[in-house]
Amino acid sequence: MMADVRQEPTVGGGRIKGLTIVKPIIYGNLARYFGKKREEDGHTHQWTVYVKPYKNEDLSIYVKKVHFKLHESYPNPNRVVTKPPYEVTETGWGEFEVIIKIYFNDPNGNEKPVTFYHLLKLFQSETDIMLGKKSLVAELYDELVFQDPTPAMQQLLTSVRPISLGAYKHETDFEEKREKTNNNLIAAKNKIRYEISELNERLKFAKQNISKLKKDIAQIEKVDDKSIISLIPQ
Amino acid sequence: MALGSDVRDILDLETPDKDPVTKESLMNDSKKKKARKSDINSKRPEGMHRELWGLLWTDNKDSPPLVPSDNSQGYKQMKAKIGSSKVRPWKWMPFTNPARKDGTIFYHYRRVADEGKDYPFSRFNKTVDVPAYTDLEYQQHLHDDNWTRLETDTLFDLCKRFDLRFIVIQDKWDREKYKERSVEDLKERYYNVCNTLKKVRAPPGTEPKIKVFDAEHERRRKAQLTKLFERTPEQVEEEDNLIAELKKIELRKKEREKKTQDLQKLITAADSNIDSRRTDRKITKKKLPPQKTKEGLSNPETCGIKFPDFKQSGVSLRSQRMKLPASIGQKKMKAIEQVLEELSIEFNPMPCEEIVQNFNELRQDIVLLYELKLALANCEYEQQTMKHRYDTLRGIKTEVNMDVTPSSLPSTPIPGETSVSLLSGTPIGVSSTPNTPLIQVTESQDDSPTLKKGGEAVDVVGNADSLTTPNRKRKAAIEQSNLLKKIKQKS
Repeated sequence: MMADVRQEPTVGGGRIKGLTIVKPIIYGNLARYFGKKREEDGHTHQWTVYVKPYKNEDLSIYVKKVHFKLHESYPNPNRVVTKPPYEVTETGWGEFEVIIKIYFNDPNGNEKPVTFYHLLKLFQSETDIMLGKKSLVAELYDELVFQDPTPAMQQLLTSVRPISLGAYKHETDFEEKREKTNNNLIAAKNKIRYEISELNERLKFAKQNISKLKKDIAQIEKVDDKSIISLIPQ
Repeated sequence: MALGSDVRDILDLETPDKDPVTKESLMNDSKKKKARKSDINSKRPEGMHRELWGLLWTDNKDSPPLVPSDNSQGYKQMKAKIGSSKVRPWKWMPFTNPARKDGTIFYHYRRVADEGKDYPFSRFNKTVDVPAYTDLEYQQHLHDDNWTRLETDTLFDLCKRFDLRFIVIQDKWDREKYKERSVEDLKERYYNVCNTLKKVRAPPGTEPKIKVFDAEHERRRKAQLTKLFERTPEQVEEEDNLIAELKKIELRKKEREKKTQDLQKLITAADSNIDSRRTDRKITKKKLPPQKTKEGLSNPETCGIKFPDFKQSGVSLRSQRMKLPASIGQKKMKAIEQVLEELSIEFNPMPCEEIVQNFNELRQDIVLLYELKLALANCEYEQQTMKHRYDTLRGIKTEVNMDVTPSSLPSTPIPGETSVSLLSGTPIGVSSTPNTPLIQVTESQDDSPTLKKGGEAVDVVGNADSLTTPNRKRKAAIEQSNLLKKIKQKS
């Protein structure tokens, strides 16, 4: 059955070579301090770990489910979310690594799930956050890169449907960040390149020096060898 | 037990005596070896263990033994089976030793069978052929200023007596009558005389075999051996130390040579790198040799780090393309981190396509820069050692400008403390004053504002390890060159 499907070049089976579809996503967590340590279990924070699309779209078209694996000390550490918003809210007292796995709605079952890790951030030194007035936000940008998707997959990926009717924005301004980072990188690259070319020059010069010295030494040694032999004690 | 032969002996029955026991039959009996040639040389079946096969089939048996082997002999000595033949009589008889000159008759017991034969041990009387010369020969050929005729005659007489045992001869040499002669002197005279005689006496046309004796060489050899023998323990230790140092020096030399080779490739790589990047952006770069590059040498051994290429079909995260490969060493990672920190770039920026590309390229450049720095440090170090050697050989202090770039920075003294700076223009291997301002280099190429920012001599490769290793090496090298000087002075 699978063989049949693969032999047909089109119709959802074969991959479209050279096609890349990029879906940027945001993942991270919010955390809020209670203000005090809760008596019964020692929890101090409430946090929400989430995965959100960068643009205003409905992920569930191509995402089957998102699996959040929490720390073992939580009951049922494996939390599966099948429809947006893809998030898990819990309370706790410590930071740990959450393993996030995204499963895709691939009709042919070709696309493997992607796994990434997020260190849950609860503590920060800003006073407002410490006092519990403001929530702490730790979110990261990443991109899902679909390389050579099948036509069926492509269909799913390109039929974008907005998820919220109103304005859609994130806590962090990623556009600005991207701009800044890129500029920094380009500047850095140029600087390093300059240093490299400079070093090259010096290296060449040093090499010339060395070979010259070698020659001089060889010459002297030739003369010396003859005279040293006569110095051997009888 | 009365054997048949014993009975016959007692009763004096005449029976033809079997041949008296020979040595061979005695020896062979006790170790009965039937050398049966094995006609079937079968091969051990595959998979069967060697020992198992040995049990089943050894060289001369082709079936497992049915009779259990007799292990009672064990550690006992094998008794010689004498055999049951008649006793051989011995007789008291006289004999002469042909080795003796006087023909004295001695008596001893011998087997009757051996009567009349020569005394068997006389064949060991071997003598050395010491040539004898006539007066004429002496006058014609063998005359020597250091040796009188009398001395030569005594020498030859002693040689004959003592079978050319020169040590004994030298001991027996009469020091009062003649002057003191060493073993080499005696040997020299003897061999010279022999060789001359051989040459003279050889029939015309034939080449006589000449014994070569180099007295000088022998004297020197013995002198050296006595010196070696008479070394004090301190001297021995010192020698061992020097040898060890020499080995270390050689080793380091080899390493440095290898590094210079890598250096060469680095330079060509860096050159081609920068050129290729200015024209079109190729991302694939291969690792430094000694690893073999599989894809042809179109991009000859460039250096840097290779990022995992994610051209496979399937889903992946962009951030995975930013990951450093596992094979980068700790030092390089540290170097990268330090540079990034300086440039205020976070270690994992947000992974957009362009950013990822730029970031990877940047890191490759950083690694390249780091490697170049190391290579340059090595070069400078090598320069120093060469200069040292040159100076010691010359005996004068020449002024070699070592830390100078083509744009002629001010020359700096040989370092006590060095700082390897990555981002600024301060030359390496420089300055007892770590705050030398960097100027000339940036002035000549003054464009982007960011260049002026790197004004301080920053230690990127600031770990204690990478900084002091070139330092330590330098100091060690200086010590070694001093040692070499000492050796030379001693000789």
